[in-house]
Amino acid sequence: MIAQTVAVALLGAVAVWFGAAVFRTSSMVRSALSLLASMAAIGGMFLAMEAEFLGVLQLMMMATEMAIMAVFMVMYMMDPGGLGQMDMSHQKRLSLASGVLAGLAALAIAFLGGWGPVAATAPDAAAQTRALGIEMMTRSLLVFETAAVTILVAMIASVAVAIARRR
Amino acid sequence: MTAATIVAALLAGAYVVAVLEGWATTGRFQPGAPLVAGLALLGRESVVPRRPDRLLYETAPVLLLAAAVMAAAVLPLSPELVAVDLATGALFVNAAWAYVMVALVMAGWGPNGAYAMVAGWRFLGQLIAYAMLIVMPIATVGMRAESLATTAIVSSQVGLWNAATQPIGFVLFTLAAMAVAFIPPFDLPTAPGELAGGVAAEYTGVRLAIFRLARLVLVVTLAAAVAVFFLGGWLGPWLPAWAWTGVKTLAVAAAMFAAGRFVPRLRAEHLLQWTWKLGIPLALFNIAWVGVTLWWADR
Repeated sequence: MIAQTVAVALLGAVAVWFGAAVFRTSSMVRSALSLLASMAAIGGMFLAMEAEFLGVLQLMMMATEMAIMAVFMVMYMMDPGGLGQMDMSHQKRLSLASGVLAGLAALAIAFLGGWGPVAATAPDAAAQTRALGIEMMTRSLLVFETAAVTILVAMIASVAVAIARRR
Repeated sequence: MTAATIVAALLAGAYVVAVLEGWATTGRFQPGAPLVAGLALLGRESVVPRRPDRLLYETAPVLLLAAAVMAAAVLPLSPELVAVDLATGALFVNAAWAYVMVALVMAGWGPNGAYAMVAGWRFLGQLIAYAMLIVMPIATVGMRAESLATTAIVSSQVGLWNAATQPIGFVLFTLAAMAVAFIPPFDLPTAPGELAGGVAAEYTGVRLAIFRLARLVLVVTLAAAVAVFFLGGWLGPWLPAWAWTGVKTLAVAAAMFAAGRFVPRLRAEHLLQWTWKLGIPLALFNIAWVGVTLWWADR
């Protein structure tokens, strides 16, 4: 139990560190891969918490997603390598404020939300997967579908913007 | 002990695969060649290109090796000889292979070279071609075993191998596995003769040795995955269990190299067209087919 707690804490620290690294570099590829490292650390946290299916899924999906994000970032940014000393940030006050607000909101949910009693032992992998499926198809269905459709729209829109006009 | 045996088996497999690949590409059987080439690489200066993204450049070969070894950790040589018997083993293999692409994108971007970069992004496109054809056949294999544990998948094939019950999935998975390890005709990210080695173009010396070793281990894990998922893994008469897995793995690797020898390299857009217009519909049909046959058998 102690080893698990330490592992979760360490991996959490790694996730936060790489999360900060995303914004500390001008290289788009480094930025995307830092985000991947952060997400992979979260996958590791799932594994440390014996949420095997979630952990493996996180590790698998994030690798592909972040690499594809790297492509989009290289496509749209003027200085993808970060070698031209170009400042690519904008609306700093607004993003700072919204970042702080979102962070506080996440912390508030984490500490104030009712999470129910702590499970003494993790259910076995099959039971976990089943519970996850039931959750996704009932209570979280709308959240899940909204996120999926949003991502799809964003993908189509960004590809549409990138295609040269044929007329 | 188990882990040490698996690592030893991986290294031995990588060596044999290197000999096989040399045989398939040069047409000459040279059992000593990988040893000589490996030692020569270790003795050579490891040149770093000008203005590289050092972090990515150094990480890429190591990450490739780590990804290949991680995949090997859940593949069983025999019922006892498996490093980690995860309940989600079949999914974990795929998660590990996803980092092959990450490593190649790093190796493409890191050295600050045109050929390498083209090759790295090309492999990302290749992932979009093969990824679904890896996942969907794994799903049907899991459907039959009613488990994603690799050992359970082998045990489910006692009556008949998955290659016989789901031949479409078998063929698609084997082709996709060749694309993961960029074996010809899917060697787009290295593309000898066109991109001068591609992702590996800017690597020399020890770094190239690690890169090559990682790729050989990757081929072993992919061939082993084909053997475990579709060819009954350790199941077979007379020989001990581990020997059957070994023989099947090497046979699959040999077949992959032999097929690549006679087919010209596919162009990136043709690969994507074939996989999305033919491969994915076939994989979906395979899922339906396996579902119906399982339901019929259960009736």
